[in-house]
Amino acid sequence: MTTPVLICDDSSFARKQMARSIPDGWDVELSFAANGKEAIEAIRAGKADVMFLDLNMPIMDGYETMKVIREQDLPCLVIVVSGDVQEEARERMMALGAIEFIRKPMDNAKLMTLLTQYGLYSGEASAAGRIAAVEKTTRNTADEQLDAYRELVNVAMGRAGENLARLLGEFIDLPIPNVNVIEATELHMAIAEAHQNNRVSAVSKGFTSAGIKGEALVIFSDTKMENIVKLLNYGEHASNEDYQLEALMDVSNILTGACLNALSDQLNVSFSHSHPILLGQHSGVTTILNNHASRWGKLMAIEIAYAIKTRDISFDLLLLFPEQSMNKIYTRLVEEEFVA
Amino acid sequence: MINDEIMQMHWQHDLLSSIEVGIVVMDKHFNVEVWNQFMENHADLRPSEVIGKSLFSLFPEIEESWLRGKAEPVFNLRTPVFIIWEQRPYLFQFGTNRPITSDATYMFQNVTMFPLSSPTGEINKLCMLVYDVTDQALGKLHVERLNDELQQMSCVDGLTGLYNRRYWQERFDSHFKLQRRRDNTSTAMMLDIDHFKNINDTYGHQAGDEVIKTLARVIQKSVRETDLAGRYGGEEFAIILVDSNQQNAAKVADRIRRLAEAMMVEHEGQQIKFTVSVGLSEYRADVKSNMAWLEQADQALYLSKHSGRNCVSTWDMVGADSAPNPEQAKA
Repeated sequence: MTTPVLICDDSSFARKQMARSIPDGWDVELSFAANGKEAIEAIRAGKADVMFLDLNMPIMDGYETMKVIREQDLPCLVIVVSGDVQEEARERMMALGAIEFIRKPMDNAKLMTLLTQYGLYSGEASAAGRIAAVEKTTRNTADEQLDAYRELVNVAMGRAGENLARLLGEFIDLPIPNVNVIEATELHMAIAEAHQNNRVSAVSKGFTSAGIKGEALVIFSDTKMENIVKLLNYGEHASNEDYQLEALMDVSNILTGACLNALSDQLNVSFSHSHPILLGQHSGVTTILNNHASRWGKLMAIEIAYAIKTRDISFDLLLLFPEQSMNKIYTRLVEEEFVA
Repeated sequence: MINDEIMQMHWQHDLLSSIEVGIVVMDKHFNVEVWNQFMENHADLRPSEVIGKSLFSLFPEIEESWLRGKAEPVFNLRTPVFIIWEQRPYLFQFGTNRPITSDATYMFQNVTMFPLSSPTGEINKLCMLVYDVTDQALGKLHVERLNDELQQMSCVDGLTGLYNRRYWQERFDSHFKLQRRRDNTSTAMMLDIDHFKNINDTYGHQAGDEVIKTLARVIQKSVRETDLAGRYGGEEFAIILVDSNQQNAAKVADRIRRLAEAMMVEHEGQQIKFTVSVGLSEYRADVKSNMAWLEQADQALYLSKHSGRNCVSTWDMVGADSAPNPEQAKA
């Protein structure tokens, strides 16, 4: 009997990654949705006995979708496939009735374990046919590339967020990462916009492997600094200047460390990290970047605005890749997918 | 075969010894397992003296709870951790590489800690790398100090140590904007040395400079740190007395006037006396601009000149019809 299966994710790259993982032997009728609203329609149309559901999506996110399914008692088994893997996200979704919560990126092995466990399918694992089918539909357009980068970072920032949530004991609000290809000369405008005229402190770290070079910046607005120092609980003299630097270093160690670990897993490389450099403290964004030679050429700037809303804390992780590295990343992403 | 392995171990040992980076491998409890030549030389402790011992018992300068906290992500999250010298100048209190000519007394250090996994994939050890960044740190500190000095130089008048005119004007502009929103009033003071040209002609320009310096010291002693005192022109000074009304400002002004009068400037065996004239104007909400406010104080100063010098006048004493001709009054 053919099982109707729905894949709901705002990223087409993630939808394909999911589709490629499905074993050829599992008799399914595949449908796709780009947000919760489309998913609910598909479920009502009988297209989803099983749904693989992402959490962070525009229009209607995974939490709302799950609530609707529950309230209206829609007949659908939900398996969450998420980049946000904080314990609290998992608990919320399981409490709403999801049967399983899987870390992105999805692959054939993870899916097979799951399908076997729930008695959905237990035959041959090979997904060669699906891989070939998906490959045919993949075009190398600029939009598809950007989407692939976004999904790559989505998983990495989720992992970093999980680690930070553990350190701070707070739920971290994860945004949809902002991926832009800009001229190198526009960089300070892009950052300045996010921080208006605020004074900021920033730490930068370089990383490189297999011809991919990049830089990770952690940027704090001075106005939000006190709250994070308070949260990290260094003790008595918590408003002290030294602790602000300490907080900046602690958060940047964890964010960039976890993010780069996740990136290297997905790209199957092992990055060398440079020692972090303090770009500046309590300076305008322009000062921080102006001390450094500007270069010509395009670069990819990925801005991830982490926030802890309940504590009025926010900080940015900015990943920068020069043009040559962008292409190498894409090649590796696509190759990894089809080889795996 | 065995020979090859011994050869390899030998050169790998040489490699660990020769590299100018400290390498320390420790277990979860910070007991030392590997201690390379760099560490041995700088700590003056042989591997036999440290291996198997707790890092904290060997180096009491390391704050145990702090380092354990920093190392947590290495074990929990398998991420490397970086400590930069700006956080703490050093972890190990080592001397500098160049004991004679270096500016520093100790070695600035950057430290990296990263996880070492066992064959089964567990993390039971960490590796600590200690980099000597003394020269880099001194370079940065030096630049920062120079920048501070430059900043200072661009704000301060070389002769008197008070703010120079450009910087005083800048601060005055921003004070004026703030003043509009403040409850407390402030008073502007203009101050000028009487017959300064005569002092220069009689005793020479260097003597004139001495007089200016002496007056600057008197001003500095008489105003508060929050007041804004600058050398406005050759022998002219401008001061904003913050949070002072005209009455209080007049007391300060008169103190300066009396102290100046009592001063005896010694220059090359000659004794020089001098007096000052002062003008005051309290801020009022109807004043159109900061320069209009300062102009009022200047008018009051001309009134002092006109009234025989060595005295203090205020803007409200400057009557419309009795306004003196400034060009005449100023000598």
